[in-house]
Amino acid sequence: MSISRSWAGALVAGALALFLPVAALAQQGPLVDAEWLSKNLDNPKVRVFEVSVDPGVYERGHIPGAVNINWHTDLVDTVRRDIASSAKFQDLLQKAGVTKDTTIVLYGDNNNWFAAWGAWVFNIYGLGDQVKLLDGGRKYWEKLGLPLDTKVPAYARSDLTVSAANPQLRARLADVLEVVDGKKNAVIVDIRSPDEFSGKLFAPEGSRELSIRAGHVPGAKNVTWSKAVDPETGKFKSKEELKKLYADAGVDGSKPVIVYCRIGERSSHTWFALSRILGYEVRNYDGSWTEYGNAVGVPIANVAGTVWQGK
Amino acid sequence: MARSASLLTAGIVAGAILLGILHLAAGDAASRSLSLSLALGAVFGVVLQRARFCFFCHTRDLVEGGDPRGVLSILIALAVGAAGYVLVVGAWLPVPLPGRLPPDAHIGPVSVVLAGAAFAFGLGMAISGSCISAHLYRLGEGSPTSPFALIGTIAGFVLGFLTWNTLYLAVISNAPVVWLPHHLGYAGTLGATFLVLALLAALALRFSRGTAEPVTSRPLDLRSVAHALFVARWPAAIGGIAVGVLSAASYLRVGPLGVTAEIGSLARTAANAAGWLPDTLHGLDTFRGCATAIQTALLSENGVFITGLVGASFVAALLAGQFAPRRPTGKDVVAGLAGGLLMGWGAMTALGCTVGVLLSGIHAGALSGWVFLFASGAGLLAGLPLRRRLASA
Repeated sequence: MSISRSWAGALVAGALALFLPVAALAQQGPLVDAEWLSKNLDNPKVRVFEVSVDPGVYERGHIPGAVNINWHTDLVDTVRRDIASSAKFQDLLQKAGVTKDTTIVLYGDNNNWFAAWGAWVFNIYGLGDQVKLLDGGRKYWEKLGLPLDTKVPAYARSDLTVSAANPQLRARLADVLEVVDGKKNAVIVDIRSPDEFSGKLFAPEGSRELSIRAGHVPGAKNVTWSKAVDPETGKFKSKEELKKLYADAGVDGSKPVIVYCRIGERSSHTWFALSRILGYEVRNYDGSWTEYGNAVGVPIANVAGTVWQGK
Repeated sequence: MARSASLLTAGIVAGAILLGILHLAAGDAASRSLSLSLALGAVFGVVLQRARFCFFCHTRDLVEGGDPRGVLSILIALAVGAAGYVLVVGAWLPVPLPGRLPPDAHIGPVSVVLAGAAFAFGLGMAISGSCISAHLYRLGEGSPTSPFALIGTIAGFVLGFLTWNTLYLAVISNAPVVWLPHHLGYAGTLGATFLVLALLAALALRFSRGTAEPVTSRPLDLRSVAHALFVARWPAAIGGIAVGVLSAASYLRVGPLGVTAEIGSLARTAANAAGWLPDTLHGLDTFRGCATAIQTALLSENGVFITGLVGASFVAALLAGQFAPRRPTGKDVVAGLAGGLLMGWGAMTALGCTVGVLLSGIHAGALSGWVFLFASGAGLLAGLPLRRRLASA
C-alpha cells in the first residue's frame, strides 16, 4: 500500500514538473489526499472551498487559498427550504474564479458532512466531474499538522455558467412515498443512529430540529453514516470495504437508492460514498426525517413505539 | 503567610498551570485550543493583578480621589484592542458587507433592556466593590468579598434566566444588532472610536486632582527590574496596552475575551438540573456574546481561561506579597451577595459583562459595547453614594 502510494506520489510529482494542468487532474476519482492537496495549493487549476458549519472555524485558520462557503446561507435558500438557486450558486463560483477546467476541492469540519452536502449541490448543478472531497476533511489535515492560513483570498471573477439543476440526484417526499407504497423499486437507506432509527430517540442530543414522530421510513435499511469512515482519520474506508458494508445491508447497486437522515446533511456523506465512490444510482432525500416524520397521513415504522408527548 | 511559604505555593501553582498548558498542547486540535485558552487566561490574570486593572476601582479613583491613571488605562485598552480587532477583522472580512458579521465577535442587540442591564451591572459593581473580572483576580488575592460576590453573581444569572423570556419577547427580539463598520467602514469606526476615547480621556484629565508621581531615576539593575515586575504596580499604560493586545490575540486564535460564559453556564446547568428554568430560553443561544450553553464537556475554553486567570493572579499576588485573606465581616457578605446579584442579572441579560460586552464589544465595533460603557458608568456613579453609606453603616 505505502509502496504503491509513494510510486503514485512520484508519478504525480513528475507530472507536476512537466505540465501543471495534468497534475491537477492526476488525482483521479472523487477524493483527493491531503498530501496531494498540500503540494497543489499554488496550482491555479485547483480551487479549494471550506464548508464548515461552526462559526469562526474558517476564519481562524483554513487551508491556504481556500474560499469560505457558509452552509447556512450560501448553499441553501432559507426562505423556500431548498438548495441555493442556480443564479446564486453561479455567482458564488464566479467570484471564486472557478472555470470549466478547475479541479474543485471541498472540505470542512464535522467529518465533511457539510462539505459532502456541498459536493451534492455541485453535482446537481453539473459540476460532478470537477468536484472532489478532501478525504478526511479538516480533521485529517489538522492531524497531519499541515499549514493553515487566516488570510481571505481574492480571485479574478470567472464567467462560468452552471447547468440547470439535475432532478435525478434529489428525492422528494413523493418519490419516497412511491417506494414505500411499492409503486417504485428502490432501496431506502436511513443513515441515522440505531436509536433514532428504532424510534427510541426523536432527535440526537443537542438537535433542535424535531419531528413529532420517531422511527423510520417503512422498509428502510439502517447503515449509520459513520460506518463508512475510519474513526481515527475520518477518511473513507476503501472501495471494497464500502461495497461489502452496504451489500451486507442489502444495498448492492442493483436497485436505485434513496438516502436520508434528519435534515439531509449527514446523508449527503453517505450519498457521496454510494454515488461517487461506488458509482450507484443514488438520490439524497434532503427533506429527510424532519419532513417525512412530520408529514400528515404517511406511514412510519416505529419499533420502539414512542409517542410524542409534547416534551 | 510567611514569605517562604508564599514562594513555595506560588511555585506549585505556577508549575501546575504550566504543566496543564504543556499537557493540553500535546493533544489534538481541540486540546491545543484549550491549551492556548489556559495560557491566555493566565496572562490575563497576571496583567489584571499586576496592573490592578479594574473598571470599578479605576472609576472610583478618579471620581473620589482625583486620580485619572486607571481610567486612562481602560481607555488605552479600548483604543489598542479596537486597532487590533480592525487588523484581524479586516483580514477575515475585507469589506464589511451588509448582512455579514465577523464570526462570533460580541456584537449584541441594542435596546433599552441592554441599557437597564448595564445600569444594574454598574450599580452591582459599586456595591460589591469590583466588576466580575476583578472579583476573579481578587479571589486570587484572598478578598473577603469576592467569593460572596461570585455566589451572588450565580444567583443573579438564575434570576436573569427567569426574566429572559419576558424581556426577549417584549423587547430584545426586535432590537437591532448594530455593527459600526456597516455604517462607518473600518477606518471610520476606528477614527470615531479614537475620537470618543480621546474626549473621554480629556474629560478624565479635567477631574484630575493629583500630581504625577515624581520620576525617580534609579540604576536599572536586576533588583529594581524584578521589583518593578513582581512587586510594584505596573504603570497604567502598560496594563491598558497589554489588555488591548490580549483581547485582539484571543479573538484571532480562540474567541473574544469574556469572563462570564463559564459562570453563566454553571448557573444554567445547575438551575436546569434543579428544574428551575423554563423549558426554552427563547433566542438566547442565537445571540453573540458570552454564551451560556448547558455544559456538555468537562473542560470548556472559557472554563480553562477562568482557571488560568484565577490561578495566575493568585501566583502574582503571592509574589507581590498582596495575598491578604481576612475573615469576611457581615458587611462583606451583604455587599458581595447584593452586588453580585445585580451584576449576575445584568451580565446575563446584557449577554456579558465589562469584559465580554464592554471591552470585546467596543473592540469589535459593536454599538452594544458603547451602550454598556455609558449605562454601566451611570449605574456605577449612582451606586457610589450607596457604597459610602454601606461602608459607614
